[in-house]
Amino acid sequence: MRRFVKLFSSVRLAIVLIILVTLASVLGTLIPQGRSAAEYAARYGSLSGLFQALQLTRLYRSGWFLGLLLLFALNIAVCSATRLGAKWRRAFGPAEAADAQGLMASRVKARFRAAPPLATAGDRVAGLLRARRYRVTRTASAGKLELLARKRRLGWLGSDVVHLGLLVILAGGLASGLAGRRSDLALREGETAEVPRAGFSLRLDKFDTEYYPQGGVKDWKSTVTVIENGVPVLTRVVEVNHPLAHRGFLFYQSRYGRDWSAPRLELEVRKRADASFARAVTLRPGERAEVGDPDVSRVVVRAFVPDFVIGEGGRVQSRSQEPRNPAALVEAWKGEERAFSGWVFAGYPDFAQAHGGQGQSPLAFVLKRYEAGQYSVLEAAHDPGANFIWLGSALVTAGLFLAFYWPSREVRVVLEEAQGRVEVIAAGRAAKGREAFEAEFARIFDDARRLS
Amino acid sequence: MTEPSLFTAAFALYAAALIAYFAALFARRESWDRAGLGLAAAGLAVHTAALVLRTVSSGHAPFTNMYESLSFLSWAVVVALIVFGRKPRVARLGPYLMLIVVALVALASSPLMPKEAAPLVPALQSYWLWLHVSVTLLGEAFFAVAFVASALFLAAGAEEKRRRLDALAYRAVAVGFPLFTLGGLVFGMVWAYRAWGRYWAWDPKEVWSLITWFVFALYLHTRIVMGWKGKRSAWIAIAGFLAALFTYFGVNYLLAGLHSYA
Ligand code: HEM
Repeated sequence: MRRFVKLFSSVRLAIVLIILVTLASVLGTLIPQGRSAAEYAARYGSLSGLFQALQLTRLYRSGWFLGLLLLFALNIAVCSATRLGAKWRRAFGPAEAADAQGLMASRVKARFRAAPPLATAGDRVAGLLRARRYRVTRTASAGKLELLARKRRLGWLGSDVVHLGLLVILAGGLASGLAGRRSDLALREGETAEVPRAGFSLRLDKFDTEYYPQGGVKDWKSTVTVIENGVPVLTRVVEVNHPLAHRGFLFYQSRYGRDWSAPRLELEVRKRADASFARAVTLRPGERAEVGDPDVSRVVVRAFVPDFVIGEGGRVQSRSQEPRNPAALVEAWKGEERAFSGWVFAGYPDFAQAHGGQGQSPLAFVLKRYEAGQYSVLEAAHDPGANFIWLGSALVTAGLFLAFYWPSREVRVVLEEAQGRVEVIAAGRAAKGREAFEAEFARIFDDARRLS
Repeated sequence: MTEPSLFTAAFALYAAALIAYFAALFARRESWDRAGLGLAAAGLAVHTAALVLRTVSSGHAPFTNMYESLSFLSWAVVVALIVFGRKPRVARLGPYLMLIVVALVALASSPLMPKEAAPLVPALQSYWLWLHVSVTLLGEAFFAVAFVASALFLAAGAEEKRRRLDALAYRAVAVGFPLFTLGGLVFGMVWAYRAWGRYWAWDPKEVWSLITWFVFALYLHTRIVMGWKGKRSAWIAIAGFLAALFTYFGVNYLLAGLHSYA
């Protein structure tokens, strides 16, 4: 146990650990993380097996990296705990007996003689220290008076607050890793989905994309309603950077898209021989619509693609999920005879790629409208570690500002009555900003000397 | 005045400050040093106006592309120079810091950097962006001061001068470290949490910020607790600044990740 404490209270170990964690982190950015085995094999050849065995390909989640972090946490905890008592006493504890010899060994010191009586000389020095916002404790004994003056006492503990914050952050990371959950909810407008393991559901009421006047997406907005036990309880707009928080879950606008599997299409049927004929039908792919005309009895849409392209082997594909070149595969029947079969392009109304080489068909089609429902992907995150992270971050930040911008100062003064004079010896120390402290110290004791 | 012409004017003033500083260095004239500082301060004022103008006209914080962030980083380095370089005899950091400023401004002005203020993609529309980038870059500017002081330390001969440079480097780290921690790590995590739902994703840019932070933590601990000073400290501060530079430039061009737009 003693050896354990000794090892883990050592700052040398801290330095070794900081170096190791740093090197490991560098390695993790040089080797791409979390790719497929095939990709590693292609990239690193025979080394890829070794890399995977050492978990270098998922380094930040590997046992040995987490082990390093655990050692680091232990180191911080033991190291701070073993030093905290002494630092606390330095900041807030009662004055310990000071001896003149000890004070004279200090770097920042002053020595002079003052006029008696002792109490008056002591009051004068204490007054000067108080004027500079020191808190003064006095200890009197026969023929001797000791002053302990301290200011910005919390500064001594700045580094402990930082270290405590780091422990809280590490604990938060652990909690996130063990208990954090996230899942995607892909919802069409009007659709409701249960949030996994949350006990409530989410309905997407509306999804909007806002654009800048110059083009380019400005924002994605999902209007969602939380439903608990079948009852809507709140409706909010979820935007990028503005998640919805509800019962320990956060919902983020993650992705969006259009559901092109079943768009509503509006087709206009025309006859080449009769310019005044135009008949509109609305249908979805796979549906048929009756027209009831002697030349066209019904229309069927066999397929739809939002971004028509002819791929390998002459097969029709969609290049993307954006409606860049929407096309519908349309068939028209005249009784039992097929009068038309071909792709109809929304962007090229005069061009129909006819099937079956039947030449010019007497019919023509215009794809006037194509509407697909939007779907929005919301990411549901439940992260019980996050609050630890914010608390830890606040502690680290506060501790850093204490350590660097709130430098503690301490002045000890011993006044002794000897041969009808009062001998004054003072010494000081500061956590930071030695030069400024030395200047302050010199000014205080120059004044004290002058007033004596 | 328009933003580009103000920016060019600031560039000219910085270049003049650089010349004055180097003239002071070689001619050993203190008055030219003060001229350098004055020109740098004038450049800073004009540069500030350029940044404000850009913010007003684009309607968002001036840190959304490389040109804007380089411009802000050079601005921050001038601020750090003025904070630390007021006492000319302290260290003569002026010429070298100004060299960094002029290099950054030249890089920002180069045709490689697109200058248009593009409309912001949704993920960047957050006030956390302001806080995250501005505080981080300000922290890094003080690391630049520590870097210059440490490099000069390694080059310097006189004991008194070395002592001052060593103390100056430490003071710069003491200012930069809390700022970098707050901006780079804390605000970064808050923003990531708001935008992507996770405060930490081990994205290469995040990891490199962490590495930079570890190097400076190493600097502090070896110094305070093991009493390292001088040479070894100086090398650690130099390594820390190089890590910060790599986080800033290298990660974007050499490693891929979520931060690809920033
Ligand atoms: C990366 C993680 C760490 C950070 C950011 C950190 C931060 C700090 C800071 C800011 C200070 C005060 C520096 C100053 O006053 O100039 C400090 C001091 C100190 N740290 Fe750490 N620390 C870390 C890890 C550790 C570890 C693992 C140990 C364990 C041994 C440790 C032990 C100490 C000690 C002994 C001091 C001396 C000053 C004092 O006790 O007040 N630190 N640390």
